[in-house]
Amino acid sequence: MKIELNDVGYSYQTGHHALEHINLSFEGNQSVAIIGQNGAGKTTLAKQLNGILRPTQGTLKIDGIEISGRTTSEWSKRVGYVFQNPDDQLFLETVREEFAFGPRNIGMDEETIERCIAKVAALTGLQDKLDVHPADLSPTEKKFCGIGAVVMMDPDAVVFDEPTCGQDYAGDVRLHDLIAELKREGKMRIAISHDMKFVVANFDRVVVMCQGKVLVDGTPEEVFSQVDVLRKSYVTPPPITRVAQGVGLKETVFIVPQFVEKLEDACSAQNS
Amino acid sequence: MKTVVEVEHYSFIYQDAKVPAIKDVSFTVREGEFVCIVGANGAGKTTLCNALVGLIPHYFTGETEGSVRINGADTADASVADLSNYIGLVFQNPFNQLTYASGTVAEELAYGLGNRGVSRDEMRRRVKLVSQLMHIEDLLDRDPLELSGGQVQRVAFGSTFILEPNILVLDECTTQLDPLGASEIFDIVKQLNASGVTVIMVDHDMERVAQYADTVVVMDHGQISLTGTPREVFSASDINRYGIDTPDYVKLSKGLDRRGLGDGELAMTYEQTVAMAKEVIDR
Repeated sequence: MKIELNDVGYSYQTGHHALEHINLSFEGNQSVAIIGQNGAGKTTLAKQLNGILRPTQGTLKIDGIEISGRTTSEWSKRVGYVFQNPDDQLFLETVREEFAFGPRNIGMDEETIERCIAKVAALTGLQDKLDVHPADLSPTEKKFCGIGAVVMMDPDAVVFDEPTCGQDYAGDVRLHDLIAELKREGKMRIAISHDMKFVVANFDRVVVMCQGKVLVDGTPEEVFSQVDVLRKSYVTPPPITRVAQGVGLKETVFIVPQFVEKLEDACSAQNS
Repeated sequence: MKTVVEVEHYSFIYQDAKVPAIKDVSFTVREGEFVCIVGANGAGKTTLCNALVGLIPHYFTGETEGSVRINGADTADASVADLSNYIGLVFQNPFNQLTYASGTVAEELAYGLGNRGVSRDEMRRRVKLVSQLMHIEDLLDRDPLELSGGQVQRVAFGSTFILEPNILVLDECTTQLDPLGASEIFDIVKQLNASGVTVIMVDHDMERVAQYADTVVVMDHGQISLTGTPREVFSASDINRYGIDTPDYVKLSKGLDRRGLGDGELAMTYEQTVAMAKEVIDR
């Protein structure tokens, strides 16, 4: 699948210009993180991707078809959007009903729905909570219920809005596994996040937004090496990357073993 | 240093709940101490925060045992308003902190001062000061309900700071802020701490916990499993079983030790980690 934004702008009714001249293209099974300061337009951008919001300027096409031509529910089969706050998304009496609601609406048969519920419940860790009211779930479980309801639709792309917000260590690990499974299934993954450790561990492309515009778009290495540019959008590299930059290491590293290796190399170069 | 928080054999079970949210918790906090409370979701951290500021038992109903004393006053006897003279809480969800009674951010910030009968001139002075501190000067005339999550989080901090509490309780209160915004706020918290304010903070960001805490309290299933300095807590090899990650600074120290490049010390802060890595390169 391909999502193309051509000169997209979006203004809210209050007159606030949230997006201006956005040109972006997301293809196939890409994994993309959208980062940037509060109010940069990240959520507004993400909500354009399945038509929850429609551009007030420019065009957005999915597989060459302009988004304005179809309803949000039609697009939600292709692009799923997981809300930042699950309370904005969940409204049914049980987790099972939340999971079944979307597929039932698009005519999925009950047998397939049951099979999908079992799979998604395992992915989200909600196997024992299927008959629980979403309001009685813990904040982490609720978040996974929202994710599960979207994954149930089997869309080609899943857009997550701040998925690590309020998650603990176990939640982070589960989310990492879930995103890896979506990758195995060949799906596009797009996430808005302020959690840079999560960004570098799960995404191959990073789009930095600042005041409604795209500031930088590149690989994590390209993006996180530009510390001064990132500062403009109130972003800092992950902790271990900052340490490596602090010691003047030329390469951009993201994980501890990689940094240990580079230090070992530097140490032996010094001694040879 | 005098003790400002004394929690003794404290337990709380929410009304209609089957299991207690916190069980037989005891700890003390000294004046000026920076304490971080960590643990998996559901470990009882937020419940403990609510108990410290008196929302339990005065707002949330349930059964309590034991006692919580703030500056010597038992929270069961003192009112939340009285306690707010000493201790202030910044909520996990900033929208839960809004009064929903203010038309503008300026009014929201001044709300607590109004309840205390502070003069209008003094209110204006403090609103100006706090809005500068929190970088929300340009939001003062906006309706709080029209702000983004990150902006509301700054307002929530401001409305707590403005009351100048001696003890600040911060419950995962920067989750919606951009990284530099969060670090700006923690710099302010650190400055307040350096000037003598006691800080009790719940956080999932273990690098930040290691960087700032004097004492780390690890909670698990409503109980305190481990208490100590960041070094004592994060050197425990089984720390992950309490649902928390090891800070990258510690992982790097241990990684270097395994390759025979470390000196056996664990780095706890950004500065210590940079110094440790430089030493390896220069060796």
